[in-house]
Amino acid sequence: MSTLCPPPSPAVAKTEIALSGESPLLAATFAYWDNILGPRVRHIWAPKTEQVLLSDGEITFLANHTLNGEILRNAESGAIDVKFFVLSEKGVIIVSLIFDGNWNGDRSTYGLSIILPQTELSFYLPLHRVCVDRLTHIIRKGRIWMHKERQENVQKIILEGTERMEDQGQSIIPMLTGEVIPVMELLSSMKSHSVPEEIDIADTVLNDDDIGDSCHEGFLLNAISSHLQTCGCSVVVGSSAEKVNKIVRTLCLFLTAAERKCSRLCEAESSFKYESGLFVQGLLKDSTGSFVLPFRQVMYAPYPTTHIDVDVNTVKQMPPCHEHIYNQRRYMRSELTAFWRATSEEDMAQDTIIYTDESFTPDLNIFQDVLHRDTLVKAFLDQVFQLKPGLSLRSTFLAQFLLVLHRKALTLIKYIEDDTQKGKKPFKSLRNLKIDLDLTAEGDLNIIMALAEKIKPGLHSFIFGRPFYTSVQERDVLMTF
Amino acid sequence: MISAPDVVAFTKEEEYEEEPYNEPALPEEYSVPLFPFANQGANPWSKLSGAKFSRDFILISEFSEQVGPQPLLTIPNDTKVFGTFDLNYFSLRIMSVDYQASFVGHPPGSAYPKLNFVEDSKVVLGDSKEGAFAYVHHLTLYDLEARGFVRPFCMAYISADQHKIMQQFQELSAEFSRASECLKTGNRKAFAGELEKKLKDLDYTRTVLHTETEIQKKANDKGFYSSQAIEKANELASVEKSIIEHQDLLKQIRSYPHRKLKGCDLCPGEMEHIQDQASQASTTSNPDESADTDLYTCRPAYTPKLIKAKSTKCFDKKLKTLEELCDTEYFTQTLTQLSHIEHMFRGDLCYLLTSQIDRALLKQQHITNFLFEDFVEVDDRMVEKQESIPSKPSQDRPPSRSLEECPIPKVLISVGSYKSSVESVLIKMEQELGDEEYKEVEVTELSSFDPQENLDYLDMDMKGSISSGESIEVLGMEKSTSVLSKSDSQASLTVPLSPQVVRSKAVSHRTISEDSIEVLSTCPSEALIPDDFKASYPSAINEEESYPDGNEGAIHFQASISPPELGETEEGSMENTPSQIDSCCIGKESDGQLVLPSSPAHTHSDEDGVVSSPPQRHRQKDQGFRVDFSMENASPSSRDDSCEGFPAYELDPSHLLANRDISKTSLDNYSDTTSYVSSVASTSSDRIPSAYPAGLSSDRHKKRAGQNALKFIRQYPFAHPAIYSLLSGRTLVVLGEDEAIVRKLVTALAIFVPSYGCYAKPVKHWASSPLHIMDFQKWKLIGLQRVASPAGAGTLHALSRYSRYTSILDLDNKTLRCPLYRGTLVPRLADHRTQIKRGSTYYLHVQSMLTQLCSKAFVYTFCHHLHLPTHDKETEELLASRQASFLKLTLGLVNEDVRVVQYLAELLKLHYMQESPGTSHPMLGFDYVPSFLYKI
Repeated sequence: MSTLCPPPSPAVAKTEIALSGESPLLAATFAYWDNILGPRVRHIWAPKTEQVLLSDGEITFLANHTLNGEILRNAESGAIDVKFFVLSEKGVIIVSLIFDGNWNGDRSTYGLSIILPQTELSFYLPLHRVCVDRLTHIIRKGRIWMHKERQENVQKIILEGTERMEDQGQSIIPMLTGEVIPVMELLSSMKSHSVPEEIDIADTVLNDDDIGDSCHEGFLLNAISSHLQTCGCSVVVGSSAEKVNKIVRTLCLFLTAAERKCSRLCEAESSFKYESGLFVQGLLKDSTGSFVLPFRQVMYAPYPTTHIDVDVNTVKQMPPCHEHIYNQRRYMRSELTAFWRATSEEDMAQDTIIYTDESFTPDLNIFQDVLHRDTLVKAFLDQVFQLKPGLSLRSTFLAQFLLVLHRKALTLIKYIEDDTQKGKKPFKSLRNLKIDLDLTAEGDLNIIMALAEKIKPGLHSFIFGRPFYTSVQERDVLMTF
Repeated sequence: MISAPDVVAFTKEEEYEEEPYNEPALPEEYSVPLFPFANQGANPWSKLSGAKFSRDFILISEFSEQVGPQPLLTIPNDTKVFGTFDLNYFSLRIMSVDYQASFVGHPPGSAYPKLNFVEDSKVVLGDSKEGAFAYVHHLTLYDLEARGFVRPFCMAYISADQHKIMQQFQELSAEFSRASECLKTGNRKAFAGELEKKLKDLDYTRTVLHTETEIQKKANDKGFYSSQAIEKANELASVEKSIIEHQDLLKQIRSYPHRKLKGCDLCPGEMEHIQDQASQASTTSNPDESADTDLYTCRPAYTPKLIKAKSTKCFDKKLKTLEELCDTEYFTQTLTQLSHIEHMFRGDLCYLLTSQIDRALLKQQHITNFLFEDFVEVDDRMVEKQESIPSKPSQDRPPSRSLEECPIPKVLISVGSYKSSVESVLIKMEQELGDEEYKEVEVTELSSFDPQENLDYLDMDMKGSISSGESIEVLGMEKSTSVLSKSDSQASLTVPLSPQVVRSKAVSHRTISEDSIEVLSTCPSEALIPDDFKASYPSAINEEESYPDGNEGAIHFQASISPPELGETEEGSMENTPSQIDSCCIGKESDGQLVLPSSPAHTHSDEDGVVSSPPQRHRQKDQGFRVDFSMENASPSSRDDSCEGFPAYELDPSHLLANRDISKTSLDNYSDTTSYVSSVASTSSDRIPSAYPAGLSSDRHKKRAGQNALKFIRQYPFAHPAIYSLLSGRTLVVLGEDEAIVRKLVTALAIFVPSYGCYAKPVKHWASSPLHIMDFQKWKLIGLQRVASPAGAGTLHALSRYSRYTSILDLDNKTLRCPLYRGTLVPRLADHRTQIKRGSTYYLHVQSMLTQLCSKAFVYTFCHHLHLPTHDKETEELLASRQASFLKLTLGLVNEDVRVVQYLAELLKLHYMQESPGTSHPMLGFDYVPSFLYKI
């Protein structure tokens, strides 16, 4: 393996990335465990800045630390473990994804890391999951690529009788670069446009004198209801940044402080691209009045999404969590399988999988009308506008509403926990649950279930597990017999 | 019958099972499982993989220079917790890397070793195969005998849930930093002590060596030094060098940057220590020196000994334990802090998250929290606020800004009229008097007031309350009474024959019936009433009740303008302090309606014949109020104490904070909840009134209360009207022989009782003496002993007398006497067919439903257009119908549910208006609505 390795530090390959805005990320690194020399850094990505905050030597030193101790690694097959460091002495935080892989015949341990200044800790933590999810998936693909390289190398060696190890060894880097740069861009955009932790209700639709002043009553009801039904995950598109951002802020009122920090406002002049994993994001339509959502990325979001168009007042939503997760995993498996089968780099372009894998025919019409009406949001909207705007009354009332939702969600979790003896038995009394917890309206149940899913991940899949396409409604009908 | 859509799921499932999605080539390790819980037995509650420990714990490990990484101790120190989990292996894993790689020792160019005060490192890592994930807090301690003087340690919070650690990272980091600071402070102290001892030893050694050298010098007359002498001289030089080195180390440890201390959250002991230092430093000439010296001075006298100059590396001897390194006091504090951490983060992440969200949201609900939230939480919030804005208590009131921009309180109270929550009687309110006017009036009144005369008129209240079968309510808020017109109040105060309500005993000879009258006499808002008037809160209706001491406050009804009947009034003696006069609404009952009696000057006759009079108040000194208040409490307690020792604490929740001893005493009465007693014993000295069992601050109490409430609902088909009584402010008396059973049920039902203030719920768990009318003002849920003896007959007699005003749940006979309930709210709250299995779950359900209810009450209370006429000509009837329409259409309330929201709204208003919320009893309400007898 050592023959395949690049020369030792400081001659580490480095890619400098030009970002339009401020980059909170200091660097990203890819390191591996050398059986002779120990931890070695393979590649560094760093934003192109005038001021060098971390020298390459320091980056290498830190990256080496991420793999220290991994000689004792004891992981399940295929596991991608996350390590998180706050090194006050160095003033940095490091997020490392550690994984095993086969590279040119040797099984070794690798680490893909991002380094941020310690001052960005509270900025980063709400985005941790987004970053980790995205890097995890690229690692899944990278691992396959590393494995395939080995086979190809062996074949080439046999066929050509030459050793072109050095060239082949580099080929995983472009793949990683393909995700590291978007992550840097995401963090950069969040730095400038993330929704503040505290939202002034005066900047939202809820400050209107009466319902319907800013937007149509039915539209607002649908938007908030669907937003809550999709676990607080929404995309707001429109032609006016101001209008989009007002709805973004309004929807963010229904999120926790951490979730707000994982939401993004719309850029005034040019549009950001869609980012998988954010809770609420505002996106500006182009000059032709359209916005293209990348299917793959929408599918890879941890929760289903509500699509809100403020120009035409439409609200569409993806299927509930268990269906979304099932679809997502199917898509992931198909993508990885297609990747495994791919014979050329062209085949491996990220969004082409649905075409290359003939056996996979996803339902592209993933956004549907909001079918289930609720009473919770409706009553809230009916009542909140009865309170005088401009005071703290509406904020207080909103907090009460959220408290009711959270308490109902916790009650629901506890109810299921009791009924199934903490998952030991299957859940079989959804109808009773709805009556007992006063969630007979389908929309109400969806909202509370969605909230519960965030608090207790996997709840949908557990309840609706095997009949994965059974909606709550269908399930309920079945259970009545 | 199963229709086509019903079988979709099954068909689809089969389809998917047949689908050729098993692309064979991709190894499973490179793929992702199709289902989140693909493994057998996996579910959202199961640990991600088979962790070998039963629950989260804390591990302290050290990188020993002798044996390498080793576990030192666990918290909790129970082998059952970590089970077969390999602590040695995990210590190796978490301590194998020195994340604090900083130089300690002799830096190049430095003559002496340098101490480097390294900052702690925090690492989150895991062992996915073992199913163990950890937050690891690395720290370095100093040890004179260690290599490089440093001993690396770490404290690890180990959990099977990786998400828990990442989601709670900042909280964990903050808490462990406290523990680490505590350890390090103790260590610096101990290290300095070690250095001083060492310096003394070296000093002593130097003296000895010096003496020996001198002796040798003197003994040596050969003109040259012997090898022995040279050796001694070298040794002396080494000692000298060592002294300088150690002095330098001592100086370094003493000069530990104070800015670091300031920047950290320190443990309490540490803070005290630092404060002590500061105070001592201020008294000394050299503060810096003294502060440091004090912290690091070795306390007990130390006898120096002869040592070798060269420092001995201790490979061959035992290293100091963590306790020795950190000073026992600090070590103990650290362990306490770690235990606190373990307790704080114990359990399922979902409960941790929701409790954090809960807390954050509750902070935004100052207005409604007092109704149903736990006292501890509310109190915490209040303390927090007091700390944060001590100089601006008014900011506690939610929309402080809004008070200027939009005077909500005025909207609700100060404006002309107030509509009774029940149909019949309107009570007119008029503009508030200015302070000066009030004061003038008071002086006059004090001089001219004749208690006896007043009593005579007041006694008229209670007679002539003839049953009509109609519902009649008089609702008078004292708060509202402050809005008197000048002329009215002056007249009423100068003329003693006014329809004032005097706090005295009253006699009632109602001749009926199944009807009840509601008198809501609320306490005044201190915000609207001049200080001198803040005295006359306690008010009650007295009926045929004799008071032992005549100090009881009461409201007198005057049901007709008929002259006083002495025979009826003889029991109703005046209050001792004539100035203690409460206000109330006085109605005259005529043709089935109450009509206000009084001189014409104070009576407003409506066209429909309903006469209402603004409640009036008389001046009373604050002191007088307090005295009276305590006496008032003394009275019922004297009655009660004949059978049991329920002193002021239980008699008046607002006294909870005032009298610790009493609180403690009363706690013994809750001996059925042992944990409660013990918890109170520990907290009774501070402000958190967890003493109150209905506060249900502990999960165990919540669970128990929920379970018993659930039993009650399932056992008694008439649970709904009983709960309705509690929610609508009608006192429910639980009558029974067995104290334990009664107490249990009262504790259970207490979850439905709205509180008056932040401190205690108006619940009396057990009373064994006859109830007094005052009790119904103070308590909304009362456990009452049924005594078979003749003495007990009095209790039952008293109860039957008030039965029209209260709901009575007879546990022995399984009956309930209370008004009819036909709403939809309570059935959703308490459905006897519910499949909820556990008390804790039911408690959560009740909590969420009550929060929803509070929300409705909040909207109703603060709806900006609902309590004011939209135009000048809008009559009260129209206003009332608008309110009724709002309650029905906007809030979706039907029938009696309206009463519940109205009652909660009254409490909200009162609470909002008070400067010291919860310090008084809000209202005394009686319903003149037919009661029904329910039987199983």
